[in-house]
Amino acid sequence: MDSSVTGAGAVSLILADSRFPGGGHVHSGGLEEAVERGLIRDSADLRPFLAGRLRAAGELAAVFAAAAAHAAARGVTPRHWAVLDGELDARTPSAAQREASRAQGRGTARAAKAAWPSPVLRELLAETPRPHHPVILGAITGLSGGRPVDAASAAAYLAVSGPASAAVRLLGLDPLAVNGIVANLSHALDAVAARGAAVAGHDPRDLPAPGAPALDLLAEAHVRHHKEEVRLFAS
Amino acid sequence: MPVDSDHDHEHHEHDGHGHGHGHVHPVNFDPTAAEPDPFEAAPEAGRAYRIGIGGPVGSGKTALTAALCRALGGELNLAVVTNDIYTTEDADFLRKAGVLDPSRIEAVQTGACPHTAIRDDITANLDAVDELEERFPGLDLVIIESGGDNLTAVFSRGLVDSQVFVVDVAGGDKVPRKGGPGVTTADLLVINKVDIAHLVGADMDVMTSDAHRMRGELPVITQSLVNTPDAPAVSDWVRSLLPVGAA
Amino acid sequence: MKATAELEAEFDPATGRTVLRRLRSMAPLTLLPQRTAGDVALVHLVNSATAPLGGDELALHVRVGPGAHLRLSGVAATLALPGQRGGVSAMAVHAEVAADGRFEHLPEPTVVTARARHHALLTAELDTGASLRTREVLVLGRDGERPGDLTTAMHVTRGETAVLRQELTIGDALLDASPAYLAGRRVLGTEVLVGGDADTVAPASGQWWSLTPLPTGGGLATVLAEDAVTAERELAEAVRHAG
Repeated sequence: MDSSVTGAGAVSLILADSRFPGGGHVHSGGLEEAVERGLIRDSADLRPFLAGRLRAAGELAAVFAAAAAHAAARGVTPRHWAVLDGELDARTPSAAQREASRAQGRGTARAAKAAWPSPVLRELLAETPRPHHPVILGAITGLSGGRPVDAASAAAYLAVSGPASAAVRLLGLDPLAVNGIVANLSHALDAVAARGAAVAGHDPRDLPAPGAPALDLLAEAHVRHHKEEVRLFAS
Repeated sequence: MPVDSDHDHEHHEHDGHGHGHGHVHPVNFDPTAAEPDPFEAAPEAGRAYRIGIGGPVGSGKTALTAALCRALGGELNLAVVTNDIYTTEDADFLRKAGVLDPSRIEAVQTGACPHTAIRDDITANLDAVDELEERFPGLDLVIIESGGDNLTAVFSRGLVDSQVFVVDVAGGDKVPRKGGPGVTTADLLVINKVDIAHLVGADMDVMTSDAHRMRGELPVITQSLVNTPDAPAVSDWVRSLLPVGAA
Repeated sequence: MKATAELEAEFDPATGRTVLRRLRSMAPLTLLPQRTAGDVALVHLVNSATAPLGGDELALHVRVGPGAHLRLSGVAATLALPGQRGGVSAMAVHAEVAADGRFEHLPEPTVVTARARHHALLTAELDTGASLRTREVLVLGRDGERPGDLTTAMHVTRGETAVLRQELTIGDALLDASPAYLAGRRVLGTEVLVGGDADTVAPASGQWWSLTPLPTGGGLATVLAEDAVTAERELAEAVRHAG
């Protein structure tokens, strides 16, 4: 499908919009815990956090969003969605991170049922009612005629825009400075999206599996701390 | 008011899709997708009625929630979602008040934006409601208490069926006159803590007449949970909303 | 240098112990069976002092038969070293564990020295009821040394189900320092536990360690530490929570 004719690229703008009502605004992607530990105090600290997050969690999300978009566009058996979702599960060792991804996936699915209803979406949700966020995001993109790279780009962007917004809210950072940091990651974002798109048609078992040990530790500690004291974000 | 107009707007958009008014996405969704109604009706049959309780910090939202639990807990299958940024504190308050089984209280995290969580992106609240509905089949009523916010905060109609806005006399008798969507459009305005009006120099006549002037036909209740701990007037209002037989 | 070593353990019903059916060393990978009192078969894997070296392609194939219990331990830290021509070194461990078999893979830490380029791969295929314990401790350079490049990949499957797939890249200074990646800490320790009691672990964590349940059973312990001793101590702490 030629997205320049159909305008299907717009779907990834909608999905990547911070005002998209899929529940993303209550997730900081480990940033709140990093702030609590004093690892991030100002904009200068935020930059390496976001750059690392993009290369690890962002890359993984981009890979699976692209794969889901590819699958949706070519048409797959319902079972394929469970396999794709399960393979992302196996690449997300932190239970807290799996929960954060599935919470956002469910929220996105709820919004999608109203915005982009389709039999394929129903099949996907029948197989995996709380899909991982990149899987549902990619599926919606593909069903709407978006390319795998569009889905990967949106997923990669969300991996940094959510924590960037959380940093503004938690630390009162200058939103112009924070936006500048995100803008500076543009080339890196494009590279991550391109790498994700390059493997979009692979067997799910063979997809890359980039890990992020520190994010896993931050996510697990975040949940543990929330039981003892207040956390403002769900992750 | 922004929320209502946005809401109406959305429905027009949906109508456009449904009737193929040229706004239909040109990309080929499966053609069968349009039938039956692809958009889930807002209040699914059999789900609990949802009431939102909003208002500024310290106006008595949690105390009113506790009073409603006390008054209605015996006759209704009910549960509470609390959005306060100090979630554990509010949830603890309700638990300690002993008015509701703690497993019937869900606290949501709002990402430091309480108004976003009840208005612009209601996902976390819908998840909490779903969770409670799964845990307690046949729920009649879910009370959703917002985090303390300012006068512009209102609940999305996608989250609640009716909403109560709570202000108190200590906030000053000018509050109703200031308006804002909470005061002017909430289904019920509660003016709280009237027992201390004389102590804070609030003129109740001014407050109630301003409130009525701002709200037209919409109801206003003045109350003191010190004098009437079970909030009888608000409880009756809630009963009047529920489908016959639920109460 | 290319080398493939092989190791096969089977349960012997006559003695109730695990016996080594096949043990094939190939320089620089030397397999040394050890005497043990229990029913477990213990083997030490000894690398020559200069392995893996750039250009080396090393592989170890392990099979654990039904009901057998094999423990493969290291005896000294492995130094990943650059080769003379700057080639990449690779070490692949492939394990197949049959029903009710148990494989423990407990090598000593791997130190990624400056200018080394090393790939580590572990694949484990488990049958139903099989269990696995595998540890990896990576040290980013010797004291005061910047690490070379290392990629490590781990794929654990049980039947058709993916249990854990993880890949890490070490040696990109920006990434290593990121609070989202290695947080500037010099040592990364992980230990995977699958099967038996480990299939129902509850999450536990400290400041820089965690034990987290994997989605289809099993658990992963993760530690980021400033030194290998702390990493191993905290890994042990995390694993203790698995019961």
